[in-house]
Amino acid sequence: MPEEISQKTRQLTSSRSLATALGKSALSLRSFYIALFRTSIIVGFLLLWHIASGPWIEPFLISSPTRIFSSLIEGFTAGDLLQHTWVTFQEIAIGFPVGAIAGIALGYAFGRSKLLAEIFEPIIIALNGIPRTALAPLFIVWLGIGLWSKVGVVFLLTFFLNFFNTYTGMRQMDQEYVDLARLMGVKGWKLTFKVIFPAISPYVFTGIRTSIPFSVIGAIVGEFVAATEGVGFFIRMSAGIFRTADVFVGIIVLMIMVIIMDKIAALIERRALRWQTQTEHIQIQA
Amino acid sequence: MLDLPQAPSQTAPSANNAVIKVENVCKVFQTPSQGSLGALANIELDILPGEFVTVVGPSGCGKSTLLRLIAGFSGCSTGRILFQGEEVRGLNTKVGYVPQESKLFPWLTVEENVGFGLSPKRYSRADRDKQIDYFIHLAGLAGFEKYYPAQLSGGMSKRASIVRALAYEPPVILMDEPFGPLDAQTRMVLQDELLKIWEQKRQTIVFVTHDLVEAVALADRVVVMTHRPGQIKDIIKVTMTRPRNIFEIHRQEGFDEAYSRLWTIFRHELNIGTH
Repeated sequence: MPEEISQKTRQLTSSRSLATALGKSALSLRSFYIALFRTSIIVGFLLLWHIASGPWIEPFLISSPTRIFSSLIEGFTAGDLLQHTWVTFQEIAIGFPVGAIAGIALGYAFGRSKLLAEIFEPIIIALNGIPRTALAPLFIVWLGIGLWSKVGVVFLLTFFLNFFNTYTGMRQMDQEYVDLARLMGVKGWKLTFKVIFPAISPYVFTGIRTSIPFSVIGAIVGEFVAATEGVGFFIRMSAGIFRTADVFVGIIVLMIMVIIMDKIAALIERRALRWQTQTEHIQIQA
Repeated sequence: MLDLPQAPSQTAPSANNAVIKVENVCKVFQTPSQGSLGALANIELDILPGEFVTVVGPSGCGKSTLLRLIAGFSGCSTGRILFQGEEVRGLNTKVGYVPQESKLFPWLTVEENVGFGLSPKRYSRADRDKQIDYFIHLAGLAGFEKYYPAQLSGGMSKRASIVRALAYEPPVILMDEPFGPLDAQTRMVLQDELLKIWEQKRQTIVFVTHDLVEAVALADRVVVMTHRPGQIKDIIKVTMTRPRNIFEIHRQEGFDEAYSRLWTIFRHELNIGTH
């Protein structure tokens, strides 16, 4: 029944058919122009920055792209930036997955058990009202100035975002899927992993991806409060001695860290949610 | 049960071998704003094995509620429902359910959806694959095994949804206005296919609809329900022979008779309904 292939199938393949319709060259020309435009904005900004630094604005305030670049190279080759990055990475590598898994598990448990949710929901919401970074000094007191206090802050920031997103997913989930599956005799782990988790997975991934930058914030705040190493420590120390270029270097390292984590998560998400129709850019006009 | 032994009769449904026995069932919903809302009142209904029963009634008359009670999604306020002689308590895993919207699991492919109810305890891997293959062909979905529901048309997901319920061979299939949102042509094609499948399998089907033609065309018996709280107004026997030709259903002997009886009742109902 070829005539029955739906609108949606066509939508799914439309980006490909668009390519054939426009011809490969026309489409690649379009993406070439887009890339060109984007690059020229970035280059223009860096150029402006470079020119402004010195004659217009004090270099120690804004540094300059060339200085930052040479500091970056120097930091990784001669300096101990690699060590700082490694420390911050460890804090996130422990705190983030533990926080995410704990948050997802609790969100799931709240969604499953009405009693649990009724008892603890107000408490969780009250706790969520605490500005969590304000707890960082307390973690230092409890866990010392080493790795574990930062892991604690990362955990805390990651946990709540994942918890709330998963719990929202559980509450938004279509009851009929569960009813149908149970009617078909499915229960236990199969119900959890073949029905409930796939059904809430878009929410779970939203939680994971929004918590990625926050996990880095957690590590940095922890290091700002008290630390002897880590990128946050490096930034604070550099700012203290007016090495502005190094401050920017630290910021760039963090930015790259977030981008890499997000890319990995996006890759996993795309694989896990490949059943979803990808919404293309909304078109108002035909 | 305190039923006196009855002589098995050819015409009237016998209470003894009924696969579903609805006994004096009422259903009241508690709503936060309007207090209690009676959905069903004093429903008595026996459904025999292999029977195709349709349920018609005005919208909001509790047709779907009746199906949900038989499936055990919720409990009766009073009365009880016996399924194969046992009272329905909790989910009734012996029925298949085809909801209004297709409700295929969007994260599973067509073949995974169709095979979803085939538990490894009852079906070996080979049996499972055979069963999936058979039902996918039956639904005319061959070639679409690896598609996700989002990639199917409305009619295709409907068919997939129906064979998903058929595939694990429950003795009874409950269908809640499955063809409701489809266009007229697709609807007819699917009605035709449903009848063909049913004639091969002869599972018991309880089919809720608001379409009178559909109700008569498919059924052995049509259960007519009243406005809320839904009660059974009448049960009409459809004498048309099988196999039926859905596309020429008006010309078949027995259609007019059943349809005009149904329409007479319904017209009456509608008059009551328009305040």
